[in-house]
Amino acid sequence: MLDTLIAGLLRGNVYALGAVGISLVFGVMNVINFAQFSFFGLGAMLAWFFVAQLGLPFGLALPLVIVICAALGLVINLTVVRPLAQFLPLAAMLSTYAVSQILDNASQIAFTAEFRVFPQVLPTSNLHIGNMRFGTSDLVMLGVTAVVMVAIGAFLKYGKIGQAIRATAQDQEAALQMGIPVGLVQHVAFVIASALGGLAGVFIALYVGVANPTSGLNTGMTAFVAATLGGLGSLLGAVVGGFALGILEAFGIHFFGDSAREIITFAILILVLIVRPGGLLGKVPLISTEPLTGTFLGKGRPLQVPRWVWPVALVVGGIVIPLVAGDYVLTTGTQVLIYAIIAAGFTVTAGQAGVMALGQAGSIAIGAYASALLTLHSPISFWAAIPIAGLIAAIISSILASPIWGVKGHYISIATLGVGTVIVAVIRLAVPQGIYGIPMPSWGDTLLATPRAYYLIDFAVLVVTLLVMWRIRGSHLGKVISSVGSDEVAALASGVRVRDYKALAFAVSAFFAGVGGSLLAHQYTYIDPTIFTMLMSLLVVTIVIMGGVSLPYGAVVGAIILIGAMELLRFTPELRIIVYGLVLILVVRFRPGGILVRNS
Amino acid sequence: MKPFTTSARRLAALVLTAATLATAACSSSATAGGGSGTDPVYFGVSSATTGQYAQYGQQFKEAFDLAVEQVNANGGINGRPVALKYEDSQSDPKQSVTVAQKFVADKDVVLAFGDYSSAASIPASPIYTSGKLVQYGFNNSNPAFTEKGTEYQWSTSITTTANYQWTADYLKKQGVKSVGVTYLNTADWGIPAFQAFKAEAEKVGLTITDAEGVLDTSDDYRPSLTKAVAGKPEAFVHIGYGPDAAKLVTQLRAIGYQGTFYGGQDEKSFDGTPDAAGSIIAAQFIETSTDPKVKAFVDAFKQKYPNEQHVTLFEATAYDALNVAVAVAKQGGPTREGILKGFGEVKDVPSVIYGSITFDPATRRVQDPRLTPTILKDGKWVEYKTA
Repeated sequence: MLDTLIAGLLRGNVYALGAVGISLVFGVMNVINFAQFSFFGLGAMLAWFFVAQLGLPFGLALPLVIVICAALGLVINLTVVRPLAQFLPLAAMLSTYAVSQILDNASQIAFTAEFRVFPQVLPTSNLHIGNMRFGTSDLVMLGVTAVVMVAIGAFLKYGKIGQAIRATAQDQEAALQMGIPVGLVQHVAFVIASALGGLAGVFIALYVGVANPTSGLNTGMTAFVAATLGGLGSLLGAVVGGFALGILEAFGIHFFGDSAREIITFAILILVLIVRPGGLLGKVPLISTEPLTGTFLGKGRPLQVPRWVWPVALVVGGIVIPLVAGDYVLTTGTQVLIYAIIAAGFTVTAGQAGVMALGQAGSIAIGAYASALLTLHSPISFWAAIPIAGLIAAIISSILASPIWGVKGHYISIATLGVGTVIVAVIRLAVPQGIYGIPMPSWGDTLLATPRAYYLIDFAVLVVTLLVMWRIRGSHLGKVISSVGSDEVAALASGVRVRDYKALAFAVSAFFAGVGGSLLAHQYTYIDPTIFTMLMSLLVVTIVIMGGVSLPYGAVVGAIILIGAMELLRFTPELRIIVYGLVLILVVRFRPGGILVRNS
Repeated sequence: MKPFTTSARRLAALVLTAATLATAACSSSATAGGGSGTDPVYFGVSSATTGQYAQYGQQFKEAFDLAVEQVNANGGINGRPVALKYEDSQSDPKQSVTVAQKFVADKDVVLAFGDYSSAASIPASPIYTSGKLVQYGFNNSNPAFTEKGTEYQWSTSITTTANYQWTADYLKKQGVKSVGVTYLNTADWGIPAFQAFKAEAEKVGLTITDAEGVLDTSDDYRPSLTKAVAGKPEAFVHIGYGPDAAKLVTQLRAIGYQGTFYGGQDEKSFDGTPDAAGSIIAAQFIETSTDPKVKAFVDAFKQKYPNEQHVTLFEATAYDALNVAVAVAKQGGPTREGILKGFGEVKDVPSVIYGSITFDPATRRVQDPRLTPTILKDGKWVEYKTA
């Protein structure tokens, strides 16, 4: 037991360091910073480069890494995050994702994608308690963390800028009125966070022993959960959250196995959020509306699409493209259509109900598995399986997500991310083997497995999806859901059962996610849990943000751009992801409310 | 900010762009001919050059490029040079299916290599099959790739089943009575491998004291490892890849376990990990082998890429794969039909992994793959000879 406790303390130390940076940026900028994850990987690779390649002493390499990461953080905040955060926090969040893509891939080009052995700069197993061995390196890490935390704590309490950071975190408007240079404060916070990210990255590599440019993502995700657990914006909370998560995970893995790690992590998070909706030490958000989408609806106004566009789009998409396009374009088109279906259904949650749910991959996975298992083990045909898969996804997702609708503010996004991740993790435990030979669609005895047939089937489903979404928006129900999203307090005051309508909107989105999953499964004919990743969830969110968060047809445009771009950029394989990130930033910069929504 | 008419026009422009693209792609595939004379023979490569599996894509590419250079210097395929068309799939099924379609539509491509992971390869298989283009998954050790595939899926990779049956037998022969096991809890690789190991262990009477499923994305295995060695097994088996084995063996030693580690992979991060020394695995390819074919390949590789310290199984599989593809094209003819025919007929293709390769047409895998026990010494794998 002592062994497990020590293992938990050591991993908690790394989480705590990572979580502090995430919490700090969130506190003063209200932005969830995905770029922070990349600083973990970058810090590790830079340290590896300085020590293993250039032969610098570790004592020199560490400050170098911190300085480089800090400088890079300043550049990123100056050029990308802060300008966009002024428009919309949601746009800024998307841009930090783009920045992380650029950083990871630039680092990959510079250092190559290989896993590298991290040099043993300090002994790692020269001490022991019971059977558990640990080393000077672990003690140094714990010591450095303690010193850094105390230093930051003192800086925030007594330093002039530190006090300004706290004031800004508490109330940005009031801070501005008191004459606090909020811009400068935000830069400082971002720089400190980036430097901490680099430092944490070095420690992760030191602890783990190997590193590659993208190795920060997994620890980053856990650090993010730790920050949420402690209460976003609370630094002490981040430290407490980090250690608590580390220790609970260690015991969880001891009893349930490493495969259950993600379930444990997110189960802890969701439980804490239900009991304490603002995290362990955070403030409970006063407004229960999702702050990201809330601001969004106020700023964006749907674009009036002239009527002639609809028949033209229908003719081009449904007749011209299938007639003239080659198989490659049709297959790409199929991927675009499936994601458009998923994203269009998601607009009712993201746009209308005002909940930026992050775990759509979970619902997609349920749909895919339901459809695969039904068609393989029952007489149900492909055609019947599509809506049934949607229904099953809607039912299971709503039941699983039902406890989280009382969670408030940003925490709801993170809780839904947790639900999505847990769904996929549970599927991995229940059906660990991949499913093969999922039947292709057929009509009578005719197999409909050509790229053109897939395209046409998916196009028809998309048209139906858009019609349903259009009907929902126009109906009384849709108006009620919209009222929940645009002003939750007013909706509550008018007697609307806000939680129930949020749950209903989520169920509608899950239905279409399930339908999309079913279509994917029957096209791939093979599925396994590695297909339904967090990146899939992020893709759905980015598609919706790009197209205009409350417009179902905007999702189609978002899907064309985000999935089509990956194919169009094949002419520059090395720079593909970097160009993709830049395109994303430019679109967000010039259309921060989404392509089809005018910004004010 | 913008008047809405502009935006509407943009929407229309987008739709039109999509249509134009479609037409362009259509016409480009239509103009492609079968090719003859001195036109290059094209093989497609679907692999990850970016993203989390990019390390392997890069290793494949270096070996492919070397092999293409050598083949062309020796007269190519009946006088026609070989050329590769690379497409980055990130080993993501969303992209590997479109890449497959791109290769199928490109009439110049007579064979497609890849993809890296089974989760990306198997979803692309139906497209290759319906396009009558052979999908040569030279890295796909998941038995289902060929078992569930069609006559268009071939592989020179040894299956996980064969590999881990061998491991269980070998441990028994070494006199080991009990083992603690960790395995990657992944559908496409770790789980089938562990099941094969477990079944064989039961058959030969090797006790598994405890088996823990782990994830390669985890960084801290100590909680699992303390459990796995609690029953004091004589040896430890890890069924996984290089980077996770590197993390795992370091932590295994850190919790004080001293038994032999049967696991790891000939991969840079594992080879360079201090605690990995003394690990034993069943090797298909040994860089330090005295076989003249292997020596020639390793020398040529290091000459072309002076920065590379190691030549691993990943480079060897790609190098072999290209040579097999060339032999197949010579046998059946450099067309899609010829390639399919050639795979069924080709015999004794020289190989740096197996010595020589002959396919079993029933399994579409290599007949009698040879495995050699190897031990990691001073960062290099050498043949492990027991007295």
